[in-house]
Amino acid sequence: MRVTCTGIIAGVAGLLLLPALAGAQSDAPRSPWKYYPEEARANEGPGGPAPVRDLTGTWLGESSGGGVPRLVRPESPPPLTPLGQQVFEQRIVEGPGVSVADTNDPHYRYCDPFGFPRNMNDQIRSMTIATIPDRTFVLLKFMNIWREIWTDGRDLPTRFTGRGADVHDPTYNGYSVGYWEDDYTFVVQTTGMAADTTWATEQGYPHSVDAVVTERFHRSSKNDLTVTTTMVDPRLYTRPVQMGEVYFRWSPRQTFFDFSCVPSTVQQYLEEMADPAGTGAAP
Amino acid sequence: MKTKIKVMVFLLGGLAAIASPSIAHHSASAFDMSAPVVLEGAVVTEFLWINPHPLIKADYTDEQGNTRNWTMEMGSTVSAQLVGWTRTALLPGDVVTLYVWAAKSGAPVGRFNKVEFDDGTVLRDSQRGADDGGRSDQGLRQ
Repeated sequence: MRVTCTGIIAGVAGLLLLPALAGAQSDAPRSPWKYYPEEARANEGPGGPAPVRDLTGTWLGESSGGGVPRLVRPESPPPLTPLGQQVFEQRIVEGPGVSVADTNDPHYRYCDPFGFPRNMNDQIRSMTIATIPDRTFVLLKFMNIWREIWTDGRDLPTRFTGRGADVHDPTYNGYSVGYWEDDYTFVVQTTGMAADTTWATEQGYPHSVDAVVTERFHRSSKNDLTVTTTMVDPRLYTRPVQMGEVYFRWSPRQTFFDFSCVPSTVQQYLEEMADPAGTGAAP
Repeated sequence: MKTKIKVMVFLLGGLAAIASPSIAHHSASAFDMSAPVVLEGAVVTEFLWINPHPLIKADYTDEQGNTRNWTMEMGSTVSAQLVGWTRTALLPGDVVTLYVWAAKSGAPVGRFNKVEFDDGTVLRDSQRGADDGGRSDQGLRQ
């Protein structure tokens, strides 16, 4: 009880004093190389109208500390086919009752690449979008990943399995094309994502190499960007899957912390910490 | 500046104490979350600023004179920075009091809760840094 009362007093004091502290901090020296989350949180409101057909710049996600709304998770339960259910059931997802030592999530155990679409719905920290005449690049800060989206009017490839010169190798981020649906909505379609070791979501949803994922990047104001994603994968799902919505806010300083999972250090973490901690079962 | 950081960390801890715990990124099923183990007078032997989780290593000598080297994980480097941590917040040789949600396995490992320095400074974990084991960074996430 004493701890709770102390917390309440400190919390109320915090609510009263935070604006003053924020004001005091604004006078501190700033480095153009550093990221200051309090600046991002202070950048409230729409900030003006969205520029026409322009997503260029650095955007902050929900885990940036920049006051960005939490994402909308993929629909649950997923509408799986029997094959999809079979694949899904092989996945041991870390979460309540399942520790890091239990999971077979290839990213948590080995720092394996998320692959697309998971890298757009998990660890949403910061994203930079850059455009050149025939392509748009999405640069994800977590793991320093870049996606290449062709905007020259080409069609998506369709063959990723079997023999023949027209077969395309699956890749972690797949093959992407994009176009402007209207002046504020950029639509990206992606297929050919390597499926052997990647999950579509943190919840372990599967995808096949033939899945087609559609993302709608909608910029509603200077400061606000929403990415809404659906996935069509008839082998594994009975209908299109709503993959959720992810929110981004414009980064005032266009910077963010560096952040990568490194295979050698995740092995050290597992050997020295997670695996000795065990599963939570009685020793 | 250090004073401001100390005040901010204290206030964030207070805010966390009155907020409802939310689901953390990693499960706590391996840890005893009923009460933290207190390692008073622990000597930091290593502070590894690594991902996915920084590790604090410290020697703790109990009342019987037995010394064990503990290893504690905390939130990612990015999450930790949001609640005041830096790469050099802990240095080998620092004598501190560490609060840790110990592993049920009995191994001297656990989920870090908070550290108290001898000058009164407190730094908390982002995910399990509240006194009830909840997040300490609620004010930074909507």
